[in-house]
Amino acid sequence: MKQLRILAVDDDPFTLKMLDKKLVKEGYDIETASDGVEAIKLISQKFYDIIITDLVMPGGVDGIDVLEAAKTQNKQTEVILLTAHASVENAVEAMRKGAFDYLQKPVNFYELTLRMEKIRDYKKMFKNAQDLREAMDVTEQNAAQTIQLLEMNVAELNNVVSEIRRVIMNQSIDPNKCVARVLDIVSS
Amino acid sequence: MIKVATDDIKAISKYILDISGIDLNEGKAYLIETRLGGLIKEYECSSYRDLCSKAKTDSNKSIENKIIDAISTNETLFFRDSGPFEVLQHKILPDLIDRRTEKSSGLLPIPIRIWSTACSTGQEVYSIAIVLKELLPDLNKYNIKLLGTDISDSAIKQASYGTYNKFEIERGLSKEKLQKYFIPNGGNWKISDELRAMVSFTKRNILESFMGLGKLDIIFCRNVAIYFDLEERKKLFENIASVLEPDGFLIIGSTESLTGICPIFEPKRYLKTIYYQLR
Repeated sequence: MKQLRILAVDDDPFTLKMLDKKLVKEGYDIETASDGVEAIKLISQKFYDIIITDLVMPGGVDGIDVLEAAKTQNKQTEVILLTAHASVENAVEAMRKGAFDYLQKPVNFYELTLRMEKIRDYKKMFKNAQDLREAMDVTEQNAAQTIQLLEMNVAELNNVVSEIRRVIMNQSIDPNKCVARVLDIVSS
Repeated sequence: MIKVATDDIKAISKYILDISGIDLNEGKAYLIETRLGGLIKEYECSSYRDLCSKAKTDSNKSIENKIIDAISTNETLFFRDSGPFEVLQHKILPDLIDRRTEKSSGLLPIPIRIWSTACSTGQEVYSIAIVLKELLPDLNKYNIKLLGTDISDSAIKQASYGTYNKFEIERGLSKEKLQKYFIPNGGNWKISDELRAMVSFTKRNILESFMGLGKLDIIFCRNVAIYFDLEERKKLFENIASVLEPDGFLIIGSTESLTGICPIFEPKRYLKTIYYQLR
């Protein structure tokens, strides 16, 4: 699977720098945005596999807004929210709106990379399931065409056989005429 | 995962066949382990045979229901294969309504009775309801009975709630239909009250008697018989024929065939899709 594209969003330059440094070191392809407004602009321009965003940010666009914008743009984008104000309500609201997970600040990078590996596995499984479904659809469509053609042909042939049987069993028909009729039925 | 003992495969397959009609021939024995492994732990059984024994003696049938839920396949999506729904909208319903209107006194709403025999979590039934709503804007003029049945308790429960998660909703539904016929519900989507009210759901094993069903105009029996052996299939389609109106319609799965199974039905083609009527 190709490298995951990450967008990290935080108004705290120190956290943002740390995220950038650590995730680059881990081999991720990462971009950063210093607030929600900039993040939403970037999200509208390109696809990110994972967005790691602070929950509370100045400028009128918070982490939930970033999450919603990301999900509207592309449902395949997974969002991890970071917050210094850990509260169950915030977590529940974020998860309900489609966040993949929720981490408390200060960020524990080991925990973060574990979550990202989980997302990578999840995306792999999702892609496998999609591939399987597509393969199944193609197989099913091909099989359906063949089976339906056979079904109609068999029905038609059955009708021909019944008609021939009816003619042959009809003893009032002269045998020579009978053969002629059968030939007519077969050639029609 | 606990392995199924070779000697037990036959007895367990027989038990599953008896309770569900699902034919686990030798090639599918692995399904016993992958699908019933969890129940072995849940009911603290020493083997799969032990699980079956417990299920047989369980008077409220909760273990049996769980085995049926686990072993039955609930693969379904909205407007699966699209063909049958196009036939329904452009051929079957217009034909049926024309004939029923001719017969009708004009005083009573025209009855249309449709049955989805193995409706799983409801996607097929609600797809039919959407077709009806789009074709017949004035639904009050018709007496519509849309019945969904399935052998699985949990599938019927979900169908009855009419609530779908983001993965289920993404499969087969256009954005336009989603906005029109579903209401956001937490992170999920719920079918609109108007469509929900058109449908009734009941648990039913279609290999058992069809008593109480009455006559039907249209029957969907798609991708169900594939899990049954030949004899069960024959019996099923004969039973279906007995509850179908003489001018009614049957739709089966796109890769299924009735050749050699039920000669009472005649295949007919509309565009790329086949439907069946009684000869």
